[in-house]
Amino acid sequence: MRLLLIEDERKVADVVARGLRAERFAVDVAYDGKTGWEMASGVDYDLIVLDLMLPGLNGTELLRRLRRKGGKAPVLVLTARDGTGDKVENFEAGADDYLTKPFAFAELLVRVKALLRRPPVGRDPVLRVADLEVDHLTQQVRRAGKRIELTSKEYALLEYLASHAGRVLSRTMIIEHVWDESFEGLTNIVDVYVRHLREKVDEAHKCKLIRTIRGTGYCLTDEAET
Amino acid sequence: MTMRSIRFRLIAWYAGLLTGVFVLLGVLMYFDLKFFLESNLRDTQARRARQIADILVARVHQTGERYVATEIKDLYEPEVNDRYIRLTRADGSTAYVSGIPSDQSFDPTHLPALSSSRKEFSQKVHLPGNTTLLIAALNYQTPEGVRYLIEVGAPFDPVETMLDHLSLQLALGLPIAVLIAIGGGYLLVGRALAPVDQIARKAEQITQHNLSERLPVARTADELERLSLSLNHMIGRLQDAFLNSKRFVADASHELRTPLTVVRAELESMSSNRKLAPEFRETIGSVLEEVERLARIVEQLFAISRLDAGESQAEWVQFDLAELAATTAEQMSLLAEDKRISVSCAAAQPVLVDGDRARLKQVVVNLLDNAIKYTPERGRIQLRVTASNGYSVLEVSDNGIGIPANALPHVFERFFRVDKARTRDPEGAGLGLSIVKSICTAHGAVVEVESNGVGSRFRVKLPIARANKFS
Repeated sequence: MRLLLIEDERKVADVVARGLRAERFAVDVAYDGKTGWEMASGVDYDLIVLDLMLPGLNGTELLRRLRRKGGKAPVLVLTARDGTGDKVENFEAGADDYLTKPFAFAELLVRVKALLRRPPVGRDPVLRVADLEVDHLTQQVRRAGKRIELTSKEYALLEYLASHAGRVLSRTMIIEHVWDESFEGLTNIVDVYVRHLREKVDEAHKCKLIRTIRGTGYCLTDEAET
Repeated sequence: MTMRSIRFRLIAWYAGLLTGVFVLLGVLMYFDLKFFLESNLRDTQARRARQIADILVARVHQTGERYVATEIKDLYEPEVNDRYIRLTRADGSTAYVSGIPSDQSFDPTHLPALSSSRKEFSQKVHLPGNTTLLIAALNYQTPEGVRYLIEVGAPFDPVETMLDHLSLQLALGLPIAVLIAIGGGYLLVGRALAPVDQIARKAEQITQHNLSERLPVARTADELERLSLSLNHMIGRLQDAFLNSKRFVADASHELRTPLTVVRAELESMSSNRKLAPEFRETIGSVLEEVERLARIVEQLFAISRLDAGESQAEWVQFDLAELAATTAEQMSLLAEDKRISVSCAAAQPVLVDGDRARLKQVVVNLLDNAIKYTPERGRIQLRVTASNGYSVLEVSDNGIGIPANALPHVFERFFRVDKARTRDPEGAGLGLSIVKSICTAHGAVVEVESNGVGSRFRVKLPIARANKFS
């Protein structure tokens, strides 16, 4: 997979590129709008990560040109502006997703993968992590074959964690997916729900699946802890 | 109100001064006229007395008293003219006295004798029957040395009648004149102040959201025009200041977010390095938590600034506040259960409001979160949504630690904390209630807090939905 990153802030560009390369993506970087446009129109990238405030050619304009030219690569817009008007304008210009700075890299990665239509798990309606089974269709959860009763929020949380198994999910991402934007800033609600979820999912088992990643968030994984 | 009182004060002063001037003028006029009429009458009588003396009494020696009497009668006809003439000899006996006047207002024979050492004098004599005579008298000595007292009198009543008439006219006319002046003044002042009223009404409507509007300019080429122009210039400067602060927020937003992104991403990539020693990973995690907190504070500050700068009402819809409160409370119930706090929700009746649903939900979330934070285990929180007097009221009350009276006025201030030591939310920045306040203000709502030592009560008063847009 070949990605183009257009970002004028060198440090942001470098750290994002490094992170994406670590995930085995081929990443090209453009530090200004003009170069970005030349690269985007010359190579058929699988995905473009685009900053909006660019010298030379601004991101929204670049996006418009790309779409006019028939460029089909999904575009993930990165920006420090988060007014509703900006969002609408860029979606209309042809953006596929939107991420506001400062973002967690984990979230960028999840979104990039979602845009590349590479779901983290197969089409099987049942998500499996070690001996945990989460059934999309029936919303039933089993651990070691034993049925676990969950409330709807607990289920939504577990499903979100399981569908991104092995990935670290920040509290903000969890809130956005499981709750809604009104709960932003209320990160302790995530902690409380995770604690309840642990009591039901992990307590009776030796292998603890739900991990706390200090400073970042939570992760559902069966990998041994380091 | 001020405008009314300016009008009232102007007219009160005006009427007072006018009345004073009128009264003064009236009094002056009255006394001036009285003096003029009286002296005029007196002079006429005195002149007549001198005429009688010079023409008739001077030759009494040749003509005799009887001739003098006849001449006086013929020349002056005192009875017909309602006059009084008496000629008294030095010994006090009467040489001539006029008869009863035609209007029979007095009887000349009953008049007391006047005496004075002065040559000429005058006197008012009151007679029975309410008649007053003004008498001019002349002590006269004929060339032969015979002395006579010549008295010529006329009734004073016409003068008094005239003065009475004048005072009546003044007493009646003055209040009428003052009333007319007040009425005219009221209209004139009203007209003069009408532009002020317009300016005040328009100024009342201008808020930070419509700073591009201007006050009506009173084209009067006077102080009012200058005032309206200066006010408009002031609004212009305010508008500039607001635009600047908005731009500042947008700029600062960009400038702060980029370094935060770098710091965060670098730390994340470090902590995901599996070769890292656990204690370093712990340290990086701790730093990341602080970065997270910093990012959240920046977010919240910008959210407040945007709200205060006036967001568009594009996302406003009509919805049921009671339902919103109930579902939000349900979503947060586990937070409360975690501390064994019971949350009761009294929101049975639908209460429609207009607003940004997500923002108002944030109000409910922040108020409930706040209540849960400051209520000890096994406490009680009550959420209530009611409609009364054209307001939708959302109330969150708890029986927690409450808020000291001296902190009450500050709880909605940014970064305010009642007591740093007792906060149980190390992640918070004291912005939750500021956001509540900003959202409420943007919705034209009022948020109040009260605390009587045990627990506290937050109340949000929203204007009720105007018309049902669903139908």
